Amino acid sequence: MAEPLLALRGVRAGYGDSVVLDGVSLEIPEHGSVAVLGRNGVGKTTLLLTIMGFTNVTRGTITWRGRDITRMPPHGRARLGLGWVAQEREVFASLTVDENLLAAATPGRWDLAAVRELFPRLAERRRHKGSELSGGEQQMLAIARALMTNPALLLLDEPLEGLAPIIVEELAEAIRRMMAKEGTAAVLVEQHAEIALSLTQEAIVIERGQVAHRGPSRALPQDLATLERLVGMRVSPWGNGTRDDGEG
Amino acid sequence: MIGPFVGVLFDGFAYGMLLFLLSVGLSVTLGMMNFINLAHCSFGMLGGYVTVTLMDHLGWPFLASLPVAFLAAAAVSILLERTLYRRLYRASELDQCLLTIGIVFMSVAAAAYVYGTVQQPLQLPDYLQGSVVIAGVNFALYRVFLVATALAITLVLVAALEWTRFGTRVRAAVDNQRMARGLGINVDRTFAITFALGGGLAGLGGALAIAIVGLDPGFAFAYLVYVLIVVSVGGLGSIRGSFAAAAVLGISDVAGKYYVPQLGAFLIYLVMVGLLMWRPSGLFGKR
Repeated sequence: MAEPLLALRGVRAGYGDSVVLDGVSLEIPEHGSVAVLGRNGVGKTTLLLTIMGFTNVTRGTITWRGRDITRMPPHGRARLGLGWVAQEREVFASLTVDENLLAAATPGRWDLAAVRELFPRLAERRRHKGSELSGGEQQMLAIARALMTNPALLLLDEPLEGLAPIIVEELAEAIRRMMAKEGTAAVLVEQHAEIALSLTQEAIVIERGQVAHRGPSRALPQDLATLERLVGMRVSPWGNGTRDDGEG
Repeated sequence: MIGPFVGVLFDGFAYGMLLFLLSVGLSVTLGMMNFINLAHCSFGMLGGYVTVTLMDHLGWPFLASLPVAFLAAAAVSILLERTLYRRLYRASELDQCLLTIGIVFMSVAAAAYVYGTVQQPLQLPDYLQGSVVIAGVNFALYRVFLVATALAITLVLVAALEWTRFGTRVRAAVDNQRMARGLGINVDRTFAITFALGGGLAGLGGALAIAIVGLDPGFAFAYLVYVLIVVSVGGLGSIRGSFAAAAVLGISDVAGKYYVPQLGAFLIYLVMVGLLMWRPSGLFGKR
């Protein structure tokens, strides 16, 4: 069997001395996609930060196409093909939309024309500063900016959070196109469980810093009881579960 | 009445341009990495001593010594950054202050050991001495040269920061260092290059400062204060802010000494307090 694109094996990670993830194993094949579900504060964001190299890994290994990247700095991982869309979007506020896109661009299929086709709004707003964009536009920019690095794997941290339903649909459609048409692999952390499951092939549920459940995304909605117990919220069409911000 | 006023304004602006060259590098690197380099003016002092050495001992012309002052300060910046500073990027602010203030003390002692504690003489070339009179106002030629040099450097800096890929990355890293790393920007290397350029500009500023404020081993401390004022008033990581703050502070310092000699050198601090109360994060600062 071919090497997985990304593999975590028995990873223990956290910040400083505190441990958030303990014993997480996860494999993502080329062109694969995984939804990461779970209650607040179980370590979903920490999982993405660990994959990017921003946490303190004290046990286990992370490999990229068979190569050990456990100790590689974040910028090195980004150059290997990891595209990170941070939870708070974190667009460069004083840079224009175009500068945000070009700051870290690498040659490849995704260029200015391609991301503008995916998000026409970004072409209209090209000369506006990051700080002048609406929440939805900032999210489009954050995704487009990650695409400009031409990643093989996108890490999306709650890309639909706090956005109007119409924007949620537009973004979900863009993510679907990215994954289905372009074959970009993705790890999707999302509170909108229903949408997350509809976008991905596989789903994992994280509980107390570990992978508590793993299965095909299509199978999970049928097992509503499991989902509600693990995710800790009712699965409505837009996943309006009660939650509070500030997950580590 | 208007003649002296324009003259004071111009002298103050020239002095401000000196402060700008000395401080702009610190502003950008502090904004990017939050690294507190109190030894920034030691790089400036080094540039001054390089120029004095080249001219006095080796007979170099003044203008030819300036690029060497820049390069020497930049080279020492790289050396210190690679060997010492990089270990403390993620250390506490106190650690950074202790290391860099230690370097200031060492640079002061080294300068006193090699050159003595006396003011260094500098013989400006003839074409930079004297003054021109325009509309009844006296403009010292050297200050005209200083202002022209600083303005040219400002234009180059702003253009490089606004219109090059490297400049975009510098600004991205100043805006959000973690995100810049996460997108594949090698922030450490970007910082190192910026740091060297900033150190070099301080060296050039130090060389240009001799004819205006003199040069002795106290330089590294004396101008540290002014440079920190410029950085905090201008706002971290902003070239425009440093430029505006340096101009305002230079003019108010010179004007204060001229019109209100009782206040003397104190006026610059009043201006600083006033500006910071008006805009706590600096004229162009974001945080």
